[in-house]
Amino acid sequence: MNIPNHLPNVTHLIHAYRVAPWRVQRQWIGNALLLVVVFAMVAALYLNVTSRTAIAGREIQDLTDAIAISRQVSSDMQTQLAGLTSAASMEARAREMGYRPVEPDELEYLVVPGYVAPKAVDLSSSAETQLNVLTIPPEYNQSLLDWMDDRLVSARRFQ
Amino acid sequence: MRQQYGRRSQVLAGALALFALAIIVQMTRIQNSPEADIFRQQSEAYAYEYRTFYPNRGEIYDRKGRLLAGEQIVYEIGLDLNIMTDPHAISFAVADTLGMDYDSLMEVIQNPPEGLSYIILADYVDAQQALYLQELKKALNEEAPEGSVGGLTGLQFKSHPQRSYPENALASNILGFVSREGVGYFGVEEKYDSLLAGNPVTVLVPTDPNKAFEIPRAPDGTTLILTIDRDLQAAAEDILDSSLGEYGAQDGLIAIMNPRSGEIYALAVSHRMNLNKFWNYGAIYPNSTYFNPAISMSYEPGSVFKVLTMAAALDSGTVTPETTYLDTGSILVGGVTVQNWDRNPWGVQNMIGCLQHSLNVCMVTLSTQMGTGTFYDYMDAFGMGHLTGVDMAWEAPGRLKVPGDADWYPVDLGTNAFGQGVAVTPIQMMAAVSAVANNGRMVIPHVLYAMVRDGRQHEVPEQFGATPISEQTAATLNEMLAISLEQESSLALVPGYRVAGKTGTAQIPVNGIYDGSQTNASFIGWGPVDDPQFMIYVWLERPTTSPWSSETAAPVFSEMAQRAVILLDIPPDSIRHQLASR
Repeated sequence: MNIPNHLPNVTHLIHAYRVAPWRVQRQWIGNALLLVVVFAMVAALYLNVTSRTAIAGREIQDLTDAIAISRQVSSDMQTQLAGLTSAASMEARAREMGYRPVEPDELEYLVVPGYVAPKAVDLSSSAETQLNVLTIPPEYNQSLLDWMDDRLVSARRFQ
Repeated sequence: MRQQYGRRSQVLAGALALFALAIIVQMTRIQNSPEADIFRQQSEAYAYEYRTFYPNRGEIYDRKGRLLAGEQIVYEIGLDLNIMTDPHAISFAVADTLGMDYDSLMEVIQNPPEGLSYIILADYVDAQQALYLQELKKALNEEAPEGSVGGLTGLQFKSHPQRSYPENALASNILGFVSREGVGYFGVEEKYDSLLAGNPVTVLVPTDPNKAFEIPRAPDGTTLILTIDRDLQAAAEDILDSSLGEYGAQDGLIAIMNPRSGEIYALAVSHRMNLNKFWNYGAIYPNSTYFNPAISMSYEPGSVFKVLTMAAALDSGTVTPETTYLDTGSILVGGVTVQNWDRNPWGVQNMIGCLQHSLNVCMVTLSTQMGTGTFYDYMDAFGMGHLTGVDMAWEAPGRLKVPGDADWYPVDLGTNAFGQGVAVTPIQMMAAVSAVANNGRMVIPHVLYAMVRDGRQHEVPEQFGATPISEQTAATLNEMLAISLEQESSLALVPGYRVAGKTGTAQIPVNGIYDGSQTNASFIGWGPVDDPQFMIYVWLERPTTSPWSSETAAPVFSEMAQRAVILLDIPPDSIRHQLASR
């Protein structure tokens, strides 16, 4: 196979281009800039996550207070309602409306097939699920540093 | 040209590096400066704060879910001295709205305790009054000239819960009350105080919002559901009040219980107080036993005690219903002559006649035939002199003197048999007699039906006491007591329902001597006899229209039973039998 005469010149030029000082300098600058950009991105991400976490934390604090106040208001209103429907007020209202206590000989008992008289009230509420630290996924309460720390710990554990 | 650019780049890079270095140096310098420690300490001081979380006190409901004890919002009204502008306006507004003394308020505001920047002017202020002051503060702020603030600036309002009883005085003796310090007194509030109150938690709480998830939550107190039926309780209190007037009685009570389970449906007493004004306690009750005499007050029950003597005599085989004896009107026991209530002889009587005519001579005959050992063993088994275990605070055990006690005399064997010389509480009598209505097994009276915690309801399992008599004895005595009421045409009878029961008229000792004109009139009865679903105890103290329980307590029992069967949905015997036969 014959090699063209001008090729040694091309190889020489390529080599010269590769080792040119301005090119090496630019590579260094490029790498340094890349590092700065990566660092800036991580910092921005961290700042973003931290600020969002702080806002969420403040909201949790406000909501916790709001829950406590709502519970108080709910209890207060429940008590007010109980006062309005107390035995004395219900009797007074019934009498005002012309009702009177039933006499035993006025009662008529009817057989209702399948009817089972209720024993007593059931106040259990099956839907009451409560959020606590254990039920909130770590994504919502873990900072970036916490997450990295967690990863490192788990990585060490599996080594 | 390229070289020039290169140099410029180097200068720029150097400048930036210097700038970055300067920032790092400055940061390091600040971190290690003498002021850094002060800032660090300040930040640490604000990073956490001690906070006590008081759980909401559990509510109390009746068996049908009607609220008996809940929470209402009240306000603490305080003053921020740092921003206060007009002490006169504040003193005047607070004094006028809350009915406080203007001069005292001015004194507190102008001479506050040293070092305080916030003082409490009033606490437990009604929501309406607090709202009025809030509106006034707002209006004054709006009307204030530009650049200045209203006269009530600095007035602060902090809401917090307070125990509230929507039924006011209804069932006050059962519920008890809660002081402003949050401590339960009497009744259910005291007995279940630790359950209702929950546990306050004092913790370091982070102010850093990033650590918001560390905020602890104090679980609320347990909610209680009682066996009490509010409507039956109201009816019992109404009937008791009208009975006290009708029979001129000084005091009284009506207790209604399920003799099969021990669930107390109602417990009406004559001294009741509005629980929302618990500070009136001292003015209403002479002493603590009057708060709930049904469980705290011991008294000589009189002839209702004969049910227990007869139960012991039948169960021990001393007599049968047909056993007869000759009643001569008096009998000697322990050197003392005991007479019948009418001081007359009743001739030959069987055991049904003995109960029907409530003959003391018969009872003394039975107790002396049984002997001290058997008689007192049975009374002990019936729980005399012991607490029943009822779940309300301040239960008294009563007193049963037994051979060997310094104050026991042989005559006590005779008098105890008809309910004299023995001290019991009404709830003790009900627990003991429940053995007769419940196939020989005593119940433990109770008011707690269920507890609700974390949204789940836990029902209290049934508990039973001793079995002092056999099932057969209980059935026999049940029938004897029903027949004795029917043959006597007692005022205690309930139309449509077969009931069993016993009257009790006990003379009250005055200065150590029994006074015939002052009596405790009692009646204990239950029904329907073939399937007992209610037991009612009536006690009228010193009735003036008649000293006899057959004329006072017995009709009250009948009236109460007629209301109870309606409110408890118990159909008449004939209908119940028809339903059972289907």
